[in-house]
Amino acid sequence: MKLNEDDLYRSSTQFRNWSFTAAQLATQRRRINQQATERVKANVARIRAQRAEDAIARDSVGEGEKENGSGTSGANTPNAVAQSATEVDCLTAAEEMKIVDEFCERAVALGSHYSFPLNVVSTAIQFLRRFYLYNSPMTYHVNTILRTIMFMATKIELFSIHVSQYAQGAGRNVSTESILAPEYIIMQGLRYNLDIRHPFRAIKAGHMEMVEMVHGKYQGPANGMSAKEVQAKMLQLPTNVDAPAVRMPEKRVEERIHAAYATATHTLRTIAVLTDAYFLYTPSQIWLAAHLLADEPLTLFYLSCKLPPSSPHYAKLLGVLRSCASLISSHRLYTNTSLPKDERDKREAQHQTEVKRLVQKLKNCRDPEKVDLVKLNQAQKRDAVEGDALEESKAKRRKLAREGYEKEADAFWGPELGKGAAVGE
Amino acid sequence: MSKQAGRAGGASKRQAEDGDICPVCKSSRYLNSTMEFKINPACYHRMCDTCVERIFKKGNNMCPVAGCAKTLAYKGFRRATFEDLQVEREVDIRKRVMKVMNKKEDDFETLRDYNDYLEQVEEITWNLILNIDKDATERKLDRFEAVQKAEGNAGVSKREPTKSTARVALNKGIVPEALNNDDADTDFSFRGLKKRVAPPKEAPFDPWGGYNIAQQYYVLQDNYDVDWYARMKSDPAHLVGGHSMQEYCSRALREAFGGFGVFIEDEIAARDDPSMDAGVGTEHAAAAAVSGDNVNMDDVF
Repeated sequence: MKLNEDDLYRSSTQFRNWSFTAAQLATQRRRINQQATERVKANVARIRAQRAEDAIARDSVGEGEKENGSGTSGANTPNAVAQSATEVDCLTAAEEMKIVDEFCERAVALGSHYSFPLNVVSTAIQFLRRFYLYNSPMTYHVNTILRTIMFMATKIELFSIHVSQYAQGAGRNVSTESILAPEYIIMQGLRYNLDIRHPFRAIKAGHMEMVEMVHGKYQGPANGMSAKEVQAKMLQLPTNVDAPAVRMPEKRVEERIHAAYATATHTLRTIAVLTDAYFLYTPSQIWLAAHLLADEPLTLFYLSCKLPPSSPHYAKLLGVLRSCASLISSHRLYTNTSLPKDERDKREAQHQTEVKRLVQKLKNCRDPEKVDLVKLNQAQKRDAVEGDALEESKAKRRKLAREGYEKEADAFWGPELGKGAAVGE
Repeated sequence: MSKQAGRAGGASKRQAEDGDICPVCKSSRYLNSTMEFKINPACYHRMCDTCVERIFKKGNNMCPVAGCAKTLAYKGFRRATFEDLQVEREVDIRKRVMKVMNKKEDDFETLRDYNDYLEQVEEITWNLILNIDKDATERKLDRFEAVQKAEGNAGVSKREPTKSTARVALNKGIVPEALNNDDADTDFSFRGLKKRVAPPKEAPFDPWGGYNIAQQYYVLQDNYDVDWYARMKSDPAHLVGGHSMQEYCSRALREAFGGFGVFIEDEIAARDDPSMDAGVGTEHAAAAAVSGDNVNMDDVF
């Protein structure tokens, strides 16, 4: 049975579990947002009702304490006092999306703060996007999740750093527990699919082949042309789509290829990872789209070598590449580069205030049950401590079981040697 | 076999007394508590280890028991496992016969054939024990051993026809000789013996399990004329064993075109989208989450 490159890609988890159509993505985000909203509202209402009950009970006892609801659980519900009467103002799907996008950008900053290599940061960003496809920022705050995801990405990309070291760099209030606590939640959210297919190595291969083409040593499929013909055609490529074809020296064309590669790589690293491109397109299409943005005639020529322009696939693929390219080029950071400075600054400031507002809004609509992930994580563990001590019957049962095991072990191996025995009594 | 008389029931007391006195040097265990008796399976005469050391240490010698005169080697002496040396001898003979006549029930077509074979084995054994037709029986046993050896070699030669030793064994004509003897000595052949079947030849291992990766969009070249590639080729870190530049290029190219012709918009829409189902994980995990409390799934809504 024969397999080609596409079949190999189809077997990846990225294609099987993490590729979507645009419509599916939108539906999924809307649904998650809706469910999270319902949940947040229900949980907040429940907590408020309970607090009101407590207050009544306290009043009936006759304590002189003022009723203000900032009791023991006040720390768990941010701004509970301020909006105790009003309905919770939840984020919409679009706003959630904006927050996730913002934190993807902050992931880049976090990565450069730790000076992590590129692949760690890119993987972390993709993990974050995947995670928030099935979770809402209202349930798990993006900040906590991002910290942990970045740490997990270092492990997955074989750039190991110790948790304590990582926690030290993360800020004053960050403990190792708070970094490790959401790991299990995240792994579930990622469905244990840790392989991210990035287009970075792929674009290197494409660059490699183009250089071979211009040197006249290309051996791959070339639409029936010989290596020399490919070279000749390449030297005559127009610099622009509309510009006339002029023959250029080999050196110049090679420089042009290097330049296109540099631009495209930069686009991939800084912009493509921040978009939904990984969900909607394959890595092969992503790098070609970035290359298309960088140097269109060159990319089109390269494509025509790989696929004859007469084939129906060619037009379709080109359509896909153009839509991917427009997705990348419509990103704020991409459009910013072509704007004059003051215009750019103005837009950036506008964007920042918008983001600030959203983050503030998020603070007020978090799911009170999922605020303290460290505590949740501890509660899930085997010797969960509830209140002060373990449930008495459980503790007793465990102690008995432990003693039983020890006895069994002693019967077989003999009892443990005392410290005095080793010295010689 | 002077001790044969000792088998009679009434003589058991005498033998016990006898057992404590060496028949050669007449020294008694009473005087030497560490004394140990040894026998040699050539004649089964008991003597104490001091005598063995004294007589046979320097080389082969005659058995000192009167009327025996067999030549014994020091190497052959050992402690008797059984007090009754007649039993010891029988066990030794049975061991020897079983080593040669070692067919199993599976080797025969019917149970009847196997039982006939066992009958023959028993006959040979008893002939040897009771010294009836001793020479003929010995010869038969040797012949059978030779035939079996040839058979084993034939099996080997079928599997590995290039092995010269097997050829030699065949060319020497052991098998035909054995067959000739078979014809001459009819009571030697066994009925219903299954034909030896050589195990089927193993197919060469295919790590891809029948799959074949055929590149459609690229050809891996021997060399690429790019500066970073040239730089890496001279970098000692990339020259260590197990690191292949070619492999890196192959992987990069595979990634460059992995999914080149995969149109997600069409393919994902076409398939029945199980991945969009928010019930995370496989069905098993979902079932486990429902049935058992110890699976701690955080439901994604």
